[in-house]
Amino acid sequence: MPRIERKAEVAWRGSLARGSGVATAGTGAFELPIDLPSRVGDPGGKTSPEELLAAAHAGCYTTSLAGEIARAGGTVDRLDVRCTVTMDEVAGQGHLIVASELDVEARADGIDADGLERAARAADDGCTFSALVRASATVTVRARLSSEGGSSNGG
Amino acid sequence: MAAERRASVTWKGDLMSGSGTIDEVGSGTFGPLDVSWPARAEAATGGKTSPEELIAAAHASCFSMALSGGLAKTGNPPERLRTSATVTFVPGTGITKIALEVRGSVPGLDEVGFREAAEAAKAGCPVSKALAGVPEITLDAGLE
Repeated sequence: MPRIERKAEVAWRGSLARGSGVATAGTGAFELPIDLPSRVGDPGGKTSPEELLAAAHAGCYTTSLAGEIARAGGTVDRLDVRCTVTMDEVAGQGHLIVASELDVEARADGIDADGLERAARAADDGCTFSALVRASATVTVRARLSSEGGSSNGG
Repeated sequence: MAAERRASVTWKGDLMSGSGTIDEVGSGTFGPLDVSWPARAEAATGGKTSPEELIAAAHASCFSMALSGGLAKTGNPPERLRTSATVTFVPGTGITKIALEVRGSVPGLDEVGFREAAEAAKAGCPVSKALAGVPEITLDAGLE
């Protein structure tokens, strides 16, 4: 069983309120500025841990769903997945990531709306990140077949 | 006040030979970033990112902010923190480990004080709490 390691680095300078950092991907795929105001207020063109988690969850779920649709006999043409992660202050617990909402539009042949619904649930069960983030957040999935292209009648 | 952060991914084709793109994020900071199953599950990524790398970046940045805030609260704001997070993913099993490593430049604070602050940041940061189900989260903390 292969063990895959993925690494990212952050260099932070200064205090929390006025300082800032840069998050760099081990693969070189990104180098992103981060700071506190962009995390809790107007992002101002900077990313945040929650936005990175939204990207991670959308990516994890998407690969999981691509696999589940194929397992159900469908052929994926295109999946559009949007993920919204919410951080909130919870009395007595400080800041928590309380919700991650996935919104899916699928264009696929050979799968109907019920089949997609089942595949969407199975993809949530199979997505590593969905299982983990439930430690503090509710995960919701809404999935629908795309009205354009593909086939929604099982053909 | 709740803060919502959003990202969108488009995927084309099947799992093994298809590929996806993180098209856009709410802040507009990054995207498009390519993602694929081989980039996720094989040693060579071809410069593509993966959910695990994004989780590593999220955890490293959340931890850095929590530590910076904690140090300032006790009167020792850091000059610089250098943090890395390494996420271990075993296909079929999931994320088995996250290793945090931090080196700090903190005037007026000794090693013991820094390690205590780092442990508190590891326990308290929202991403740590959200990922509490990861079997092993380790921390290696020290002054520069």
